[in-house]
Amino acid sequence: MSSPGALTLRVREAEMISPLLKRFILESADRAPLPSTGPGAHLRLMLTDGQRKFRNAYSIAAAAPDNSAYEIIVRSVPRSRGGSVFLHEHVHAGTIIEADFPGNLFPLSQVARKHLLIGGGIGITPFLGYLVHFKKMPAPFELHHFCRVEEETTFGQLLRRAEGGKIHLHPELVTEFDLAGMLRTQPLGTHLYVCGPEIFMELVLAAARSQGWPCSKLHSESFGGAHAGGAPFVAVLKRSGLEIHVPEDQTLLEAIEAAGVEPPSLCRGGACGQCVTEILEGEPEHRDHYLSAEEHAAGRAMMICVSRAKRERIVLDL
Amino acid sequence: MPDPSIPSRPRYKPFALMPAARSHLVIAEHAEDLSDLPAGSSEAPIEFWVVAHDARALGTQRLNGSVEITRYRSVPHLLDQLTYRLEREYVGLQLYAIGTEPFIWDIARLARAHGLDRDEFHPTHSGTLRRRVYCVHCRSFTDNVSTTIAVCSGCGAHLQVRDHFSQRLAAFMGVQVDAEVPGELPPIEEAYP
Repeated sequence: MSSPGALTLRVREAEMISPLLKRFILESADRAPLPSTGPGAHLRLMLTDGQRKFRNAYSIAAAAPDNSAYEIIVRSVPRSRGGSVFLHEHVHAGTIIEADFPGNLFPLSQVARKHLLIGGGIGITPFLGYLVHFKKMPAPFELHHFCRVEEETTFGQLLRRAEGGKIHLHPELVTEFDLAGMLRTQPLGTHLYVCGPEIFMELVLAAARSQGWPCSKLHSESFGGAHAGGAPFVAVLKRSGLEIHVPEDQTLLEAIEAAGVEPPSLCRGGACGQCVTEILEGEPEHRDHYLSAEEHAAGRAMMICVSRAKRERIVLDL
Repeated sequence: MPDPSIPSRPRYKPFALMPAARSHLVIAEHAEDLSDLPAGSSEAPIEFWVVAHDARALGTQRLNGSVEITRYRSVPHLLDQLTYRLEREYVGLQLYAIGTEPFIWDIARLARAHGLDRDEFHPTHSGTLRRRVYCVHCRSFTDNVSTTIAVCSGCGAHLQVRDHFSQRLAAFMGVQVDAEVPGELPPIEEAYP
């Protein structure tokens, strides 16, 4: 289990690479080597802006070969929970940031015969990590990246790091591209990875399913924290005797931790099953990938790291 | 349906077409396995492959509209053609194998080598329960075993046929039964009709 603030990082470099994208190089504050990461790993930063706390996850676009530094790229999203704007406006070279140990909910398949990567906008970041990996461990791959026309140059430069394979940069909407045709002609054993805005990913996954792709070949990343927010509600922890207000920009697990209770948790992304919690009263809004459809329908347990309450109140066995 | 005594003993589901597919390829060891299959229950095209054992009935035939049936003269003939086909196939194919365990696991091995996983390959057991046995001593295969103890086709040892099944080798493990006292054999029984 990763405890809060497991890593203390110092910003070595911070640089705007486009009007909306900022690149950070983060190193260990005490210069000790950072934990090793694999392609697709993310880093959850713990940011404090006065009273407000953010825990935002960012894909590690590259790690230094000697594990001395991680690179992340952050898009400024004004209407988001605020973490990215804070990083853009208040985090500079020399700033100290706390972070969890890196996690990985978007690893490369070890048995794939080909990797098909489909990115949208800032969803390029995990794929930059993949490309670094393919340089060391060559594997057949094909990358399609969709971006706004004005960002073509920026993404073109980021993708110049790659060698081999097939890289296609599309300065257009994914709906203008013959996605179905591309998905119909992928050799057996291809695994598809998609990362980008939620709507973009749903569109790509739906297109793949309609071409007969099985779930086992489809992988998607949602920037860790994308599914964290929602309507505020009250969680009652029966065993602890606590009543917790979960605000719209915090997850249930974060709110419980802020109240001093530390339920078991690991991935914090609804995938691993560690934080499964029994529901005594109330209806959950499931957002995890761990419980089955039947378990979701039964509504007797929930993954508190990503799922929330459907109505104002939920009672948990914690 | 074989009754599993240990976890590696495979369990099989009855044949059913997967709802999501771009195309289906159904392979049967015996023509009679195809006779009572649901045919037109999928929007995606369906192809049947079968071993005919009759040189006068080879080749491809079109049944009612969208269903094609192709007959092969032998299992190796079919497996060769399947290798060629899978090398050129695309994601979205659902592959099915119906037949005896050695047959469906030979196809499973090809499917796995071409990147198909459990969501894309579906074995159904039909026909005899006779086993292909792998001698753990000399690594030979002995086919068509119906008894609890079999003589290895490679080294002649008396092998106890275990329920331990290797998906990689497509065979049941056979272990010398009289290693302690040569010649002392437990009663041999017909167990896999």
